[in-house]
Amino acid sequence: MLLHVVNRSPANSRVFEQALTAMGPDDVLLLIEDGVQGALPQLVRYYAQIEGRLFALREDLGARGLLGRCAESVQVVDVDGFVTLTEEAERTVSWY
Amino acid sequence: MRYAILLMGAPYSHQASHSALRFARALVARGHCLEAVFFYHDGVHNASRLAAPPQDEPHLVDAWADLSREHGVSLQVCIAAALRRGLLDEREAARHGKEGNSVAAPFELTGLGQLIDLGTRCDRLVTFGP
Amino acid sequence: MHEHEDPLRDLLVILRHAPHGSSWLKEGLDAALVAAAFGQRVSLLFMGEGVTALMPGQGPGALEQKGTAATLEMLEMYDIETLLVDAQALSALGLSADELMLDVDPVSAEALAEALAAHRLVLTF
Repeated sequence: MLLHVVNRSPANSRVFEQALTAMGPDDVLLLIEDGVQGALPQLVRYYAQIEGRLFALREDLGARGLLGRCAESVQVVDVDGFVTLTEEAERTVSWY
Repeated sequence: MRYAILLMGAPYSHQASHSALRFARALVARGHCLEAVFFYHDGVHNASRLAAPPQDEPHLVDAWADLSREHGVSLQVCIAAALRRGLLDEREAARHGKEGNSVAAPFELTGLGQLIDLGTRCDRLVTFGP
Repeated sequence: MHEHEDPLRDLLVILRHAPHGSSWLKEGLDAALVAAAFGQRVSLLFMGEGVTALMPGQGPGALEQKGTAATLEMLEMYDIETLLVDAQALSALGLSADELMLDVDPVSAEALAEALAAHRLVLTF
């Protein structure tokens, strides 16, 4: 299992498509920085194919006033959870 | 676990440096060994000893240096990427006939081979891009 | 330096940027060359606009600066022979693999994930 990290918003960038293309069936994806916009109900549809394997970073949501506005399918983790994800994944691949 | 971080975003331009520092602190707080941070691409600007941000903003350069001193994290700056961007330590400044220098300990200018070595030796390498 | 019985290759460098517009392509290639010079088994994966790095007939930049085409021509000398290209990205740009400057393996979307899983370290540029 690999962890993919995306820091760009799907509203502005197609980097998320590269990440999705490169993801294996067990891989998970964490949204950080501006990428957390992808957790909004209106944008989460871009990640429909990985439902249940999508995470968003709590601190970056909070800083942007987006905490509590995430789609229910998105798992919110804090930076300790980010570390845990990197422990569990064999490798981390960043898309920016 | 043994970790390394690859940072490729310039400070104060992108969140990458802040994200990397926050992640680095969380790593050591959880008892992991953060062996090194490798600065490449525009990330080399994190090593500028001349950075003078306003006092009410985090001082990223000092924060990296503190992390290094407190937790023995090596701060490695790609020399090829750094020289092009005007980041020189005392030795390189002398070699290139420059009057001042812009990189000081604990940051060290080093080759890309160090990045490859870190990627091989560490259990995890996490990249923060702009 | 590497263990031949290990099915994992050492390093996959993903190149996602075009030549000349930024230093990403050059700096990614530099990392690949250094790893190869260290004896690592290195593969390249061209994704997105990175596939344009392989266009034939590239020239110098605005200030006559070198591009990356000459570096790509040296890959064989460094034993970097696994050149993967995102097939989707190629067709999105109206290109086909046989018109590129090097012999490459077009990779379908399904096979991309396997390529990532087959390397011990993945660096994206």
